[in-house]
Amino acid sequence: MNGRTPVVVTGLGAICGAGKSPASILDAILEGRSALAPIASWDVAHWPRPIAAEIADFNAAQLAGDRKLLKLIRRTDVVGLYAAGEAVKEAGFVAHREGLAAAAAAHFSERTGLYAGSGGGNYQNQYDYFPLIEQAAGALPAFGSELASMVNPMWLLKSLPNNVLCHVGIRFGIKGPNACITNHSVSGLLAIVEAAAGIVNGEADRAVAVGHDTPIEPQNVFYYHGAGLLARETLRPFDASRDGSLMGEGAGAMMVESEASARARGAAVLGRVLGAGHATESEGLLAIRDDGEGPARAIRAALAEAGVDERDVGMIVAHGNGTPASDASEALAILDVFGADAPPVTAFKWSIGHLIAAAGAIETVLALEALRRGVVPGIPVLDRIDPAFAALPVSRETRKPRSDVALVLSRGFGGTDGALLVRAA
Amino acid sequence: MKKKRVAITGLGLVTPAGNDVASTWATLQSGRSMGAPITIFDASGFSTRIAAEVKGFDARAVIDDRRLLKFANRSHAFALAAADQALADAGVRPTPATSARWGLSVGTGMMGMAWDDLSSLGLAAADGEDVDPVRLQGSDTGRDPMVFCRAQTSAGLALLGRRYGIGGYSTSVHTACASGGQAVGTAMKLIRRGTVDFALAGGFDSMVNPVGLAGFCLLGAVSADNDAPSRASRPFDATRNGFVLGEGAGFVVLESWERAVARGARIYAEIAGDGNSLSSYRITDSHPSGDGPIQAMHWALADADATPQDVDYVNAHGTSTPMNDRSESAAMHAVFGSDVGRVSVSSTKSAMGHLIAAAGAVEAAVCALSIHHGVLPVNANYVHPDPDCMLNLVVGAARKQPVRVALSNSLGFGGSNSCLAFRHPDFDGGRT
Repeated sequence: MNGRTPVVVTGLGAICGAGKSPASILDAILEGRSALAPIASWDVAHWPRPIAAEIADFNAAQLAGDRKLLKLIRRTDVVGLYAAGEAVKEAGFVAHREGLAAAAAAHFSERTGLYAGSGGGNYQNQYDYFPLIEQAAGALPAFGSELASMVNPMWLLKSLPNNVLCHVGIRFGIKGPNACITNHSVSGLLAIVEAAAGIVNGEADRAVAVGHDTPIEPQNVFYYHGAGLLARETLRPFDASRDGSLMGEGAGAMMVESEASARARGAAVLGRVLGAGHATESEGLLAIRDDGEGPARAIRAALAEAGVDERDVGMIVAHGNGTPASDASEALAILDVFGADAPPVTAFKWSIGHLIAAAGAIETVLALEALRRGVVPGIPVLDRIDPAFAALPVSRETRKPRSDVALVLSRGFGGTDGALLVRAA
Repeated sequence: MKKKRVAITGLGLVTPAGNDVASTWATLQSGRSMGAPITIFDASGFSTRIAAEVKGFDARAVIDDRRLLKFANRSHAFALAAADQALADAGVRPTPATSARWGLSVGTGMMGMAWDDLSSLGLAAADGEDVDPVRLQGSDTGRDPMVFCRAQTSAGLALLGRRYGIGGYSTSVHTACASGGQAVGTAMKLIRRGTVDFALAGGFDSMVNPVGLAGFCLLGAVSADNDAPSRASRPFDATRNGFVLGEGAGFVVLESWERAVARGARIYAEIAGDGNSLSSYRITDSHPSGDGPIQAMHWALADADATPQDVDYVNAHGTSTPMNDRSESAAMHAVFGSDVGRVSVSSTKSAMGHLIAAAGAVEAAVCALSIHHGVLPVNANYVHPDPDCMLNLVVGAARKQPVRVALSNSLGFGGSNSCLAFRHPDFDGGRT
């Protein structure tokens, strides 16, 4: 490999309907358990698409680690804060800094970056205005004059899409370069890409990357259904009978560092970020090309940046969101790049659901966990692969990766495609 | 490692100061301030009833694509108009052959339902502070796919990408008031690291609506000088009492220096440095010492191979809130030291109001214009010196002055600080 300098991974965190750690989530996937189930957070007796992967025992105060903070953050921020905290903890970041003298500790904080992929907020936060709207009967003058007496003065701050940057930064004293990426389903992947780029380019020595989203809200789910994007019962990636996606919620996070930073701290290396590639299809908000040109171009660019030959890719974690159009074009892209020699392909959304802005982050975390164990989890809901791309090497069974390199794919609204290559330590 | 140089070759602006670059630039030199009573909606009940609105903007007259406009909200229409201007100004645009080498990086405002859709949904389906899932399904808002499309954070990105056929790296970022600066900085880095050769970068926002204004009124962040709206935005003045909400969009075309020179493009300025820090202090404020913005400015200068002594102009974040201007002044004193009196400073929010997620991109364009014309825009409405904000402000009239290096600060709620550094195309200080 003669690509750019790899960035090492020293901490991982994840939470979703299938578990609250990378290990427990991968256990669930390997055991064939899916967190997709009837939605519990509202009455779905008269609801057209009642399945999603909720975090069942959601204790916000415990997950956020600070009850008072709940006045200032939303559910999506809670999961982001939790996953980022887990990654920071595993990396031994705070303990290391505590051992430094004041000036060195300040420098350490300033040389630490923070990159979030955020859903940006859906609809529920605006419902805080409903009682006022009802009282004002929709009239603006009354809405304006009664505002201060009826709405939480912190409403705007609670609604900020970049709250995870703010509160993870304050909690862990992170003061370096940062970004909050609100780019639909590629946000989580881009958070990792930008964190790694920040380190390669010398802006930071280490950084936390986190993707977080909690899109399972009635209005949001109803719109996705209206757009024809949701499955009736089961999310079956690449299956001939697939009929749509299903939502999940949660977050994935990792601490990435320069080799030198990890070595200086004596931090255990869990994996490496090798390189990334991108494409935009620019067909519109929801439309995508049917030939897979976008993801194919993104994959080729990632291989080139990482200096990895396609034969050296050990497994592919596809976006595999279960919609007819996305899976078909993604499969064509993989076959176009890898030909008859494609490595084992899998996808995780059949178990954890589609975490939208968090998807690429949690799926990269899980790809590293799978590489570490030397497994490519199967897709047990796969009944019959779509004959349109029958050569795609997907399987119901657990397989072995053919190397310690994984390719992770993400695709989002606006036709954005991202490809990321990671390697186990 | 020698950094790849990045040129600014196209500008586009739709702001309260004017609906294109020329008219905005003229207003910024005049010392006029565009704060006025809100006309877009009935703000009579709000504690703040003033804003700086974009006036006389007819999306259909400037964007020849009705189908595209159907998906656009007010801020998206501003974005399309400003981006159109920037590409025309640059004289270069994506073609099928170059599409994959074009990137798109935008600072997007907070997305959600527009007031009409929210109030209609509230009246049809509210259940306390929640929505009734059955009534939701029958409501106009629930049944309207356009509400969904316009609420997506990537909606503006998708419209821009489709209009111009951009095929490379595309991203939408949001760090509140730092969004626009971070978007332009991201685009510069994409060209530097070779991900793309050209980038369309900018920001767009409009919070001059009932929900947007409500959030700021609740926080007490906006000036309530309803009787003197054109005096309300007065950054660094001792009597300042909050910002004036603005709206609009700013876009720039960035390209690798070699390509710009090779095609004989007019280069307004070099975008040479990006400094991003996190204050990690409070949600709405930086530390009074300027900690956070100080690092952003230092890092932007270092990235640009420049020193504080090279800086002739700072386009300040200067929101006109008591805390921001004090902390930002302290930061400038820390960065420039005894040299601070030499450096000209203005906040163009004094004229345009605060364009929130668009502010940093609009002000990046203002810095490029300042370097190009050798003219510094006015810090309007400055009357009463504040001992905590003693700076060399451009007051009264625009200042004719060559600029070697300019900085643009954008400091966001949530603690993200963006500082961009711009170099005059001919300035070679710090480089051998």
